[in-house]
Amino acid sequence: MSTPIDAPGRGGRGLARARLLWQGLGAVAALWAAASFTFLVQTLMPGDRAMLLINMAAGNLTNPSPEEIAAVNARYGFDDPVLVQYLRYLGNLLRGDLGVSFQQHQPVLAMIGEQIGPTLTLAFSALVTAWVIAVALTLACTAREHPLSRAASALQVALATIPPYWIGTILLVAFAVELRWFPVEGQHSLAGLVLPTLSLALPLAGYLGQVLQDEFARVLEQPFVTSARMRGMGDLGVRLRHVLRHAVLPGVTLSGWALGKLLSGAVLIEAVFARQGLGGLLVAATSARDVPLVTGIVLTSAAVYVVTNLLVDHAYRLIDPRIRLS
Amino acid sequence: MSRLHAPLSVPGSTPLPRRLAALLCAALGATLGPLAAAQEPAPGGTIQYGHFQEPSCLVASWVQGWYLQRQFSDNLVSRGADGKLWPWLATSWSVSKDRKSYTFQLKPNVRFTDGTPLDAPAVAANFKRWLDVDPAKRNNAAFQYFGDKFESATATGPLTVRVTLKTPYQPFLTVLSHATHGILSPASFERSTAENCERPVGSGPFVVEKWNRGLNVVFKRNPNYNSAPANARHQGPAYVEGLVWKFLKEPTVRYGSLLAGESDVIYDIPAVHWKEANEKFTVVRHITGGSPLRLQLNTAHPPFDDLRVRRALAHAADRQRAVEVASQGAVPFEGNGALSQSAPEYLRELASRYPFDPAQANRLLDEAGWTGRTPEGIRTRNGVPLTARVAYGAGGIVTPDIAQALQIVQEQARAVGFNLVFKPTALADWWAGKNRGPNDYDILPAYWTASGAEVLQISWRPDAGDKPNPNNASRFQDPKLWALIREADQTADDARRVQLYQQAQRLMVDSAAVVGLATLPVALASSPRLKGVWLAGGVGEPVFHDAHFVK
Repeated sequence: MSTPIDAPGRGGRGLARARLLWQGLGAVAALWAAASFTFLVQTLMPGDRAMLLINMAAGNLTNPSPEEIAAVNARYGFDDPVLVQYLRYLGNLLRGDLGVSFQQHQPVLAMIGEQIGPTLTLAFSALVTAWVIAVALTLACTAREHPLSRAASALQVALATIPPYWIGTILLVAFAVELRWFPVEGQHSLAGLVLPTLSLALPLAGYLGQVLQDEFARVLEQPFVTSARMRGMGDLGVRLRHVLRHAVLPGVTLSGWALGKLLSGAVLIEAVFARQGLGGLLVAATSARDVPLVTGIVLTSAAVYVVTNLLVDHAYRLIDPRIRLS
Repeated sequence: MSRLHAPLSVPGSTPLPRRLAALLCAALGATLGPLAAAQEPAPGGTIQYGHFQEPSCLVASWVQGWYLQRQFSDNLVSRGADGKLWPWLATSWSVSKDRKSYTFQLKPNVRFTDGTPLDAPAVAANFKRWLDVDPAKRNNAAFQYFGDKFESATATGPLTVRVTLKTPYQPFLTVLSHATHGILSPASFERSTAENCERPVGSGPFVVEKWNRGLNVVFKRNPNYNSAPANARHQGPAYVEGLVWKFLKEPTVRYGSLLAGESDVIYDIPAVHWKEANEKFTVVRHITGGSPLRLQLNTAHPPFDDLRVRRALAHAADRQRAVEVASQGAVPFEGNGALSQSAPEYLRELASRYPFDPAQANRLLDEAGWTGRTPEGIRTRNGVPLTARVAYGAGGIVTPDIAQALQIVQEQARAVGFNLVFKPTALADWWAGKNRGPNDYDILPAYWTASGAEVLQISWRPDAGDKPNPNNASRFQDPKLWALIREADQTADDARRVQLYQQAQRLMVDSAAVVGLATLPVALASSPRLKGVWLAGGVGEPVFHDAHFVK
């Protein structure tokens, strides 16, 4: 493609299109890799899958006859070469068919559809909450010679190191079981979302806050901040309008990664607060080596992750227009 | 034909004294009428029940499925906790002289909740379904208990079913009382496996309305329910309008939900709250019969092919203390590894057969030639250390409390020179057979939920040719034992049968093929607002049909 150098508008569009194409290809490759890896690991693990399915359906150890094993193998095609199983799986995937759960006999897509809402709600509300906490603490406390600000910083380090499961249990016992401010079971109301959200958001806020503050403190030293102050801008104005805008960039990058972490953290938090979600589904599917279901869930999480990272990428350029295509 | 149960209504003329008695009763009833009416529980309300595990299908032949099935289906007979059998869908039954044929008279006018009649052909169809060749449709409990004995189930009249077995089988009715043998609508079998899993159809006090996976099963009352068992506390529809069966896997949230009033009743009280729960709530507990949680010692291999080494392990640890400490009183100890204490055939003296006696354990190991020592203090024989691999499905059979009890046993066994190595196995691998092959383990802790000694044929059936019986993890193949169990299963005389089962238990425990550890209690804690929850006598299935709220 030849683009006249003196036509930056058109060239920019062409480059943007190419870039989008590359990003799309990258996303597809990532999804293909996730699906393939999960499928192959699940399929190649040792152990007789027909025996596993018969025993799990029976709920105890059985002594299936060779004919019964053969019938299950034939039904699910376990006897075919792995390559054949893999290609069949990919073919179905291309048609949008995620298959039927080996153990629960339901279409995987419907099962995921039933569970993904609560998980995404929890993950995004935790992400937003973590940002609100991190930004508020950063604005209030960075580079201020005040014992409170040092205490806030120490608190963030502490939060960043605490496992969400532990926070969740403590919050549950303190605020739901003892004080009764929130419901114990976190599924049925908006109030029930508060404690699960905090369980995931607090550790993330600690981590995010650390990153924001480092950058914030660095930007505060920049010459343009000094010049803004010299123009007579107030401290809060400087922090809000100039410094924060620059300081959030590493945090935004981090958010893509954080969402992946939140999705995996949700597995435990959903159990602690007895919420529906992909977590419980994944645990059940893994312990039954339910290949279509496990692969479907991994693929879904990967898709959420990929989409979020694309969004992050674009948000980056919205926040700081100086970042251009290189 | 010998009658086990008289029909409920006796036809023919009523003798005079009985008529007088009836008159008296009527008079009494008239005076007690208003009082009785005042005591009739107020209907209404929805029970919020916090359960534990969620099965992958609502009709499952393992015990977590049984609990659910008890809500939406009825059985032919009902078993009281004392072992007595009560009429249910079968108002009466008789057994042929050769004891191979059972004829059931069914309750008239019972319908499944899809509107189809529950009649003799429907019951016969259930027997066929239970023993289907397809493992996905079959009922594994039926298959294991009477699959090899079943000959036919025939509707000999609209409400008469005759079931014929190839051999006499005395525990048959007890087995039929297990909730997994609840009668389901044959019309519903025509649907897909997925539909049958999601919305099974029986004739029970509740109807499955919706299964919100990962959250709950919503039941609503069956308004036409007319087939409660004779040992229920009332006949007719359930008092409550509905039942929400919630899956609260985490003990903290389950107990917290009861404390906060979000649940009216919960299953499996966490050990740390056991004492408090007994003070604050109504606790009902059923010790499950069948095989208790016991250590099955692999008798086919060193080191446990030597009776002395097996007995040494039994003496090496204070198992009773270990279970009591780990469970804080929530789980009673069971020393008789052969059978649970709530089984009518239980032999109590076997529970104290192997008291905690490290000196005796050391003596036995010396005798058996395990006289060397590694630098760590583990005994050796001919340079081989006394190591025993303990294999179990992690998170399944071995709960955290039991895992802690096992750790105490491990520590105490170490003091006499045993090296117990735990092999917790991910459930997927466990069901696929990992660590369960005949040479993969030395100790396998397991239980099998049942009512009583009917379980013995499952746990002790000898290997069939080169296929080991996976439920006889002791690999104990003494022909004498199998002969005793088979004879007992076929013996009609109650006293003689119990005697034979007890001889079998003695043989198992004397040979230390199993070492007892813990019972399997089913415990429910309910709020004072909810009355009338009880546990069925089969395996402690929760019954909500008689439950009602008080103000």
